[in-house]
Amino acid sequence: MIDDHPMIIEGYKNTLLGENQKEYQIKIDIASNCDDAYANIVKSSETVPYDMLFIDIKLPPSSDGTITSGEDLAKHAKELLPKSKVIILTMHREDHRIHNILKNINPAGFLIKSDLTSSELLLAFNNIVKGKAYYSATVNDHFRKMMTNKFSLDEKNLKILYHLSRGVKTKNLPNYVSLSLSAIEKRKNQIKEMFSIAKADDQKLLEEARKRGFI
Amino acid sequence: MFRFLLRFIIIILLLFQIGCDNLDKEVKNEELKSNLIQSHIDEARNKKNSDEERKNNLEKAYGIYSTLIDNTYKIEKIQEISFVYFELKDYDNYRIMNEKALKLSKSINDSLNIAESHTYLGLYYKASRLDLAYENFYEAEEIYSSLYNKQNGSEGHAFDRGKVLTDLALILRKIKNYSESESLTIKAIENFELAKNNLYIPLCYTNLGIIAKYTEFYDKAIEYHKKAIEYAKGTEAEVLQILTSYNNIGTTYKSQKKYDKAKEYYNKALTYTDFLSKNPKRRARLIDNLAYVNFLSNDTSNIPDLFFKALKIRDSIGDKYGIATNKLHLAEYYKSIGEDSISRMYAYQSKDLSLELQKNEELLKTYQVLSKVSDSKEGLEYANEYIKLNDSLVKEERLFRDKFARIRFETDEIVEQNQQISRENEILIIAILGLTALFLLGYIIFRQQQSNKELLFAQTQQESNEEIYRLFINQQIKLEEGRQLEQQRMSEELHDGVLGRLFGVRLSLDGINQRANDEFTDSRNKYIEELKAIEKEIRLISHDLGAETLPSDVAYIDAVENLIKDLCEVHKLEFEFNNDEDIDWEEIDDQKKVNFFRILQESMQNIFKHAHADSIKINFDYVEDKINLTILDDGIGFRENKVKKGIGLKNITSRVSQMSGVVKFLSEVNSGTTVSVSVPV
Repeated sequence: MIDDHPMIIEGYKNTLLGENQKEYQIKIDIASNCDDAYANIVKSSETVPYDMLFIDIKLPPSSDGTITSGEDLAKHAKELLPKSKVIILTMHREDHRIHNILKNINPAGFLIKSDLTSSELLLAFNNIVKGKAYYSATVNDHFRKMMTNKFSLDEKNLKILYHLSRGVKTKNLPNYVSLSLSAIEKRKNQIKEMFSIAKADDQKLLEEARKRGFI
Repeated sequence: MFRFLLRFIIIILLLFQIGCDNLDKEVKNEELKSNLIQSHIDEARNKKNSDEERKNNLEKAYGIYSTLIDNTYKIEKIQEISFVYFELKDYDNYRIMNEKALKLSKSINDSLNIAESHTYLGLYYKASRLDLAYENFYEAEEIYSSLYNKQNGSEGHAFDRGKVLTDLALILRKIKNYSESESLTIKAIENFELAKNNLYIPLCYTNLGIIAKYTEFYDKAIEYHKKAIEYAKGTEAEVLQILTSYNNIGTTYKSQKKYDKAKEYYNKALTYTDFLSKNPKRRARLIDNLAYVNFLSNDTSNIPDLFFKALKIRDSIGDKYGIATNKLHLAEYYKSIGEDSISRMYAYQSKDLSLELQKNEELLKTYQVLSKVSDSKEGLEYANEYIKLNDSLVKEERLFRDKFARIRFETDEIVEQNQQISRENEILIIAILGLTALFLLGYIIFRQQQSNKELLFAQTQQESNEEIYRLFINQQIKLEEGRQLEQQRMSEELHDGVLGRLFGVRLSLDGINQRANDEFTDSRNKYIEELKAIEKEIRLISHDLGAETLPSDVAYIDAVENLIKDLCEVHKLEFEFNNDEDIDWEEIDDQKKVNFFRILQESMQNIFKHAHADSIKINFDYVEDKINLTILDDGIGFRENKVKKGIGLKNITSRVSQMSGVVKFLSEVNSGTTVSVSVPV
């Protein structure tokens, strides 16, 4: 279990250990930063590999700067411990982040902390142990939205929409999305065309995006 | 009142009418007078009338003239009258007229007529008063020569000047100032040639010939006389000139003692019998001269018959000058043949005539003859008389020369004084002009510097304005940044710290709750749900805090809003402020921002001071690349044309024009005021 809040790990433990003590023998290693986590992962890959990894996204980065988040850590874990099930637990519920994590890690479990209750955590745990993936309702929602749209927006476009919705001005977008201003303008126009609201202003664009569930 | 005005206007009109009538009458009078004068002059010219009548006419003409205003026309007419007097041989009136003309010319500064009047007066004095004649001619010459200089050598009045010069030369010859006479004659010839008028050139050459004879350049004298004939060739005066010149050539040869040549020329002259028969005086002179040469060359064959022949002609025409000379010649002749008593008789007669005519040269010779033909006592007396006369003549000549020199000197002095004055005037004018130019230059430079200073001042003020603004904005931005940083920090703290721990707590509680199967599970679940709700709220707050709620360019608008808010709070006014999101304040230069800021300040000051408003509305709108600032109040307003612009409005106007924008102040009494500023981006 990797989380920088001991309280959260405490919560996980309380939930999992209290209920499953009779069915499963659970041994838990904990790490509160990327360095420790990585060291544990490496160690277990050489000895007894972990069956399951609880990874938080927001983590203090490793001291050498190569691992900056749970996302990076998960990638390493998939390489080092190909058989272990990765469960992502995060406070972030923004569409583009969900999208990103799904695409990059494809975790066995994806839980949004704010949705999470102990019973859900248990449900997820049991499902994953049995080899079934489990996603939080929010993540499933995201899936549904992606499916119902005839088209999909790529990560960059979603980011653009997201930042616009936060009130960032178009000309400041290059600071948030790694694209040039002209590229961003082009993408915005593409999105508008996809929404068939060409020539509409940003206000309209955001309204439409909200309606379609991209934000 | 109205009636009075009407009456007044009528009176003025009437007066005007009368004035016009007067003017008309005057003009008519003038015409009438000049016609009358002309008829009087014509009448006076008419030789059929008696002299008395003609003079009467002239007097009448002049009587009318004296009533006319002074102008050139009047002067010319007076001169015309003087000519008629001359014709009538009334020389005193001729002089009086010309003196009047001179005075008039001087009073209206008509230099040409001054010169002419001097010339005419000189002609009058030529016979009687050589000094006055000389003075007048000299003054005329001075004027002509100054006119000549002014006209840069054009012919102008060359002919008139030539005549005056000729007269001067003749006078000078008379007083035996030959060298000067010669140079003036040459000058006269030059002028005549310049004027292309040869009328008087023969006269000039004759004069030169006579002078040359006196100065004993005989060959030259003969040459001059021949030249005189040449110039007269083809003119009416040809024969007359030939006779004069032959006579003069003869006399020259006589002086040279070439008697044969002299006789030849006298005889040649005497062949013009037709002309001479009409001119007995000339004929007599030629005969007399011929006889005298014969006498001198001891060719006594025709003598004294020729002398008597001449004397007879002269007696018949009463030529007193000729008779005096003739009788002197006879006295000399009789003296030479020893007939002293006859000689003495002729000499006496000649002496008396010469005395009467003041013919000093003849008189001198008469005395000479008398001193020799009289007995010793009487002879001595005459000899003394001779010496006395000779002395007095020499003295007189010297006196004349001195006088002429003085005249010249005085005239020159006046001219010089005039020149001096005009030179001084010139210097004065140049000095004044120079000073004025200098002053102007100084003033311009001063103004330039002043305006430069003003410009510099305005520039530094602008710079300092911008500087103040930058500092102000920087302050604002820093404040904003600090706030944002703080918000970010709070957002993260909430999200990662508080929220995480809360989540952990909730999860733990939930876990424990699941296991503790007692009757409180449901109620605990309710609180756990509540915790979840709190989490959500905190997350939302965190999200809001973390978002870029205040972009950096909001700083300016923030400053503006703060200004409005602060001022309105102090003055207890409601306000509404709208800023068009389309205005990209970051792109707008600082000068404009400062100007907008100050315009707002100024306008709000006006509103607080004068408008008594309850609320104001301020808008920044973006329309077609222009920023429109509208400041609206619900105060008492003002009548646009009644209020003269105060310094506040002037400042606003100047600021707007600095940004090449337009400002409008719209107001109606009791319906508020709108200040609308439109400035291109």
